[in-house]
Amino acid sequence: MTAAAQPAGRRWRGSPLAPSWQKGYLFASPALIVMIAILIYPLIYSFVMSFYRWDLSSPSQYFVGLSNYRDTFNSLGFKQTLRVQLIFSAVTIVVEVAAGMGVAVLVNGRLRGLKLARTLLLVPPMIAPAVVGLNFRWLFNGQYGLVNGILRFLGLPEAPWLSDPDWALASVMIADIWQNTPLLVLLFLAGLQSLPQEPIEAAQVDGASSWGIFWHITLPLMRPILMIALMLRIIDTFRTFDVVWLMTQGGPGGATSLITVNAYQSAFQSASFGHASAVSYVALAMSLLFLALLYGAPWAARKMRRNS
Amino acid sequence: MGGKEDAEEFMTDIAQHRMGMRRRRPKLREGVTAGLVIRYLVLIGTVLLTIFPLAWLVLTSLRNSADIFAVPVRILPASITFGQYIAVFSQYGLDGYLWNTIIVSFATVVLVILLAVPCAYSMARFRLPGAKVIVSILLIMRMIPVVALAIPLFAVFAAIGLLDTLTALVLAHTASKLPVAIWLLMGFIQDLPKEIEESAQMDGASTLRIIVQIVSPLIAPGIGATAVITFLFTWNDLLLALTLSSSEAAQTLPVGLTNFVSQFGIDWGAMSAAGVLMVIPTLIFVWFAQGLLVKGLVSGAVRG
Repeated sequence: MTAAAQPAGRRWRGSPLAPSWQKGYLFASPALIVMIAILIYPLIYSFVMSFYRWDLSSPSQYFVGLSNYRDTFNSLGFKQTLRVQLIFSAVTIVVEVAAGMGVAVLVNGRLRGLKLARTLLLVPPMIAPAVVGLNFRWLFNGQYGLVNGILRFLGLPEAPWLSDPDWALASVMIADIWQNTPLLVLLFLAGLQSLPQEPIEAAQVDGASSWGIFWHITLPLMRPILMIALMLRIIDTFRTFDVVWLMTQGGPGGATSLITVNAYQSAFQSASFGHASAVSYVALAMSLLFLALLYGAPWAARKMRRNS
Repeated sequence: MGGKEDAEEFMTDIAQHRMGMRRRRPKLREGVTAGLVIRYLVLIGTVLLTIFPLAWLVLTSLRNSADIFAVPVRILPASITFGQYIAVFSQYGLDGYLWNTIIVSFATVVLVILLAVPCAYSMARFRLPGAKVIVSILLIMRMIPVVALAIPLFAVFAAIGLLDTLTALVLAHTASKLPVAIWLLMGFIQDLPKEIEESAQMDGASTLRIIVQIVSPLIAPGIGATAVITFLFTWNDLLLALTLSSSEAAQTLPVGLTNFVSQFGIDWGAMSAAGVLMVIPTLIFVWFAQGLLVKGLVSGAVRG
């Protein structure tokens, strides 16, 4: 991150050919103007409007301070959304990262068919989440769905996958885990292949157990990539919309209403844009908070260890 | 001799002590081990879990309605029919959605590449004041929930009368895909040696010429990866299209899928056929451009 942020111009220093920054901005400006006009301006606009009463139904807009945020946190629906979002984020992140790491470590190496498997693993993360949601809605269909069909065939009790609130949340999480774990497997495989082999080989010669090697050598070496994986999942989990929208539309009874679903509904079904803007910035704030915890926790732990 | 062995023993003891490991004889190539069997089982299990739900989507799309609603569920279709695929076009007018999606995706890719390459080049090679700020903004943009953008864009496009047009979708997608594209391309440009550009400049080539004739061919894989990623994320987008389009004039395939749910009850066969059609471009890119895709995704992730 820091290497890229460093202006590369530094390397031109002293060269008579050092390009001027005015010229640089000339070439950067078309993209920057498009982003400012269609991305940054609307975002600032909606951020400002999250402090206003702003309904599509009435033309009057007036400043209400933090009341959109206060109303959001006080509303019963949002309390449920918050609970649903936290469960969804915690479970999917932990399962996806743990499963992704587990599979990557186990299949890493010279296994036959690994190349083909890597191609196939790229499919779920790249297909439309809308299709994933639709497909899992069909798989989890109570009467005609395959999953209940198999359960019935095995003589097991059927599950109310999408009709019961708790099961519905689990179903949505399963779809998310199915779609996103493979990308983490690929990311971890790429990471494992870039690890230095000497410490692992040395431990093998010394007769260390596979588990010991993984826990004491591989995992610490994989730490940077693990952090990246966690960061990516934290960011995306607070952006998840499509899968849920096609599987449950946030239902039944708000049981799967993630923050983005809540924001979309209050904007385009209740037409209260100011409120919806506030909700969508709560989603951003929460992902920033989780990222701060991710990067802050190891730092705090190190500091405490040093002090004690 | 003995001294050396002692020393090795000592080092091993230290290593084992430090790692809290039990002592065990190293296993040297024993052919089929339990570990290997487990590893293959994990590999096969992962692959099956990955393709199984998609295989079911394809199987559903090839069934007739009676077969779809069969109880108990039949794993293999009683007979294979392409009726659902025909129905998707004749009854549900999927061709309109398909065209909209194709137009929006290709137009977005072209615009994103045209805008992102020169921007990434100047960010990577010129001493831009404020470059750090711009890069941080690019990264923050990646974090913002799409719905936070969709809400104000709806208001803005409504105000200028662009709602429910393909233009609005192309503009929205171009702007929202640019940060990642610039970020990816910057990485590829920074990996290039500067000498070629320097000598071209010495020969009097303009910056535009350097970008078009020298840098672009050299980062062709990077441009390819960026184009494929931009294409797929635009192709897959639901939220922007759902927000900014309200009629068949601009609705794309993912929105078409939501219409299957609300408008006609749920016609699972046709919906599966539409889903399969939507996934085909992804499968093509994954098969033929997986190297580019992985490179783009992993390098983007690692740099991010």
